[in-house]
Amino acid sequence: MRVCVFAVAALWMGWAAAPGVDPGKVIGTPSAPITVEVFSDFECPACKTFHENVLPELMRDYVIPGKVFLASFEFPLPMHRYSRQAADYAVAAARIGEYLPVADALFREQQSWSASGKVWEAAAGALNPAQRKRVQALATDPGVLAEVQNEIGVGQRVPINETPTIVVIRGSRSIPISGRLIRYELLKQLLDDLAKK
Amino acid sequence: MISPRSNTFRAAALLLRVLLGGIFIYAAWIKLRTPWEVFAMSIDSYQILPVRAVELVARTLPWFELLVGILLVTGLGLRSAAIATSLLLGVFFGLMVRAYATGQQINCGCFGPGELISWKTLLRDGSLLAGSLALTWMAFVRRRAAG
Repeated sequence: MRVCVFAVAALWMGWAAAPGVDPGKVIGTPSAPITVEVFSDFECPACKTFHENVLPELMRDYVIPGKVFLASFEFPLPMHRYSRQAADYAVAAARIGEYLPVADALFREQQSWSASGKVWEAAAGALNPAQRKRVQALATDPGVLAEVQNEIGVGQRVPINETPTIVVIRGSRSIPISGRLIRYELLKQLLDDLAKK
Repeated sequence: MISPRSNTFRAAALLLRVLLGGIFIYAAWIKLRTPWEVFAMSIDSYQILPVRAVELVARTLPWFELLVGILLVTGLGLRSAAIATSLLLGVFFGLMVRAYATGQQINCGCFGPGELISWKTLLRDGSLLAGSLALTWMAFVRRRAAG
């Protein structure tokens, strides 16, 4: 699973970001027929499950083959004490092309930092010393903070009522789906049906 | 007690069946205008049916809701439609109560995605169930009074 995620890290390019998201947080071919937007909160357990169980399969079957263009949006919920901070670090990491490793680390260590508040320690574990310095500085950069706020704004306009929410876009059609307890088999069926249309 | 032949009784029955019928038609329309997989995901999140059954229910239930809604609004086969409505709402309400009681933070799936089960959705669906049971009772009482 993790291998798959890192294998596509090379595809993590900001060729043409989805509107409203940092170019470092998109994966795949922008000309893919379907765009999938994932609105997520690093402190939400259902988002962890989606990230660790569904996302790798989605990447393997659709993103790497160029069928789906994937964009990740931060949507930290106010009820979660540290999720905004985690989002700041993740977007800062995206600025140096390290979004995915940091996102993996934040979700992997979710239980620990959501109890202790040691968010940076979890994020830093995915970075080398030079990257740590840059990400730590960027995490307080007004541009990065504005970017997180902008992504929250995009989610509010959908509107997002829960996390994770997946928005599947095919042409002018936009379908929001709850990512909680989502069965990959059904998501796959949906993507296959939309691709045929 | 209000007589089944009175205007008040008839008006209440008409109001209930048009309201419930309209809600059923709206719920069906919301589901039918999105791919069936989206509703299937909502059903699946309750974790009570195997995926094959989930697919079958997701593909057929919105059409059944539409049929029941039309029957209620038109008043055709009212007793059967009222029983079907009560049974459907009873099952939906039971599943929602179960999910809420066990702390499952899932989508209700009632009117498309994006609506988590909460005390508000329980209150709404509970009220609809009460209305539907009242309508079923009215449909039978009126029939008996007419017969």
